[in-house]
Amino acid sequence: MKKVFRTLALLALTCSIGATAQASTPEEDLKAFQDFYKKRFPNVETSDYVNGAYSIDPVGRENWEAIEEFPPYEPFIDDGMTMWETPFANGKTYKDCFPDGPAMKGKFPHWDKEKGMVVTLELALNQCREANGEKPLKYKKGPINNIVSYIASESRGQLTNVEIPKDDPRALQAYEDGKKFYYTRRGQLNFACAHCHLQNAGMILRTEVLSPALGHTTHFPVYRSKWGTVGTLHRRFTGCNKQVRAKPFKAHGEEYRNLEYFLTYMSNGLPLNGPGARK
Amino acid sequence: MHKKLILLLTLLAAIVCGGTTTTLLADEASAAKVQKLIDAADAARKEAASVGGEWRDTGKMIKKAKKLLKKGDYTAAAKLANDAAKQGHLGYEQAMSQKDLKMPSYLHY
Repeated sequence: MKKVFRTLALLALTCSIGATAQASTPEEDLKAFQDFYKKRFPNVETSDYVNGAYSIDPVGRENWEAIEEFPPYEPFIDDGMTMWETPFANGKTYKDCFPDGPAMKGKFPHWDKEKGMVVTLELALNQCREANGEKPLKYKKGPINNIVSYIASESRGQLTNVEIPKDDPRALQAYEDGKKFYYTRRGQLNFACAHCHLQNAGMILRTEVLSPALGHTTHFPVYRSKWGTVGTLHRRFTGCNKQVRAKPFKAHGEEYRNLEYFLTYMSNGLPLNGPGARK
Repeated sequence: MHKKLILLLTLLAAIVCGGTTTTLLADEASAAKVQKLIDAADAARKEAASVGGEWRDTGKMIKKAKKLLKKGDYTAAAKLANDAAKQGHLGYEQAMSQKDLKMPSYLHY
């Protein structure tokens, strides 16, 4: 009898170790994430996921391709170029903050060791403005979308390449926090991001095909017909959280920055193709 | 006759005044009760928010309950405050139940 108890206790201990050992590395997460879509949609080329729901919805794709003949986001790119070139009140421009020029979206989001936080493109732009005595732009609506559209357009073709520096455990923690956010149920509807865009990607919710999460970050900012304008990724995060009846978090606050860090990492290897057009 | 009329009017006045006072006292008691419910709902909302589990409409419901209280619609205000408190508690419980990361079984490592 004692032997049986001892064996059971040992088994329980082994199981608990197994559960603890489930923690995975970002590289393992990436492989599992991308493999999931390969199995789910075996006929879709990985590179086509940059087109969001249109990679898996042929009818929607036809409509979208027709829209792309006269891209609704073009005026925003033009206005963004003007913003980029227009000097601040102190005579400096965005180029003084970003000497490599506007084709820089591939560098974001990134871990900033000095600041100890994930820095997103929009945050960096506002930091540049503030450093030059300008008011920061609002994060979801308005002119920020112009300059981000211009930068995205100039960055087309760059590969998503989010790095999680191994020499700073805080970077890995930020990634883990973003991952936790992604798989956490929230709101009155009790949904996690993963429920719609991983588990049920390709299913129809009301009249819409749920887009795959792979490639989600490549085409932002997007012109959404529903918005009638271009909007940022964090505006979309806000909308998603509201749809599951959760109170959204602050745009470019820690929660959404870490979420962007994780989600963009999941699309590592995919080319940037923003700005995009969506329904 | 004159005496009887005075007596009747006095009696009537006493009834009306007494009734109004009772209603006012009852109103004050109801308002205080509803205010307590609203405070409890707000405390529940804040508790949920402290763990990132606040739901979308809880704050709006509390605001609406406050407006209804001002208008004197105690029944509707109390119902809304109770619903908001439930949301606050559920939001907190939900966030607590999600404290540990649970990776979906359909992701194969």
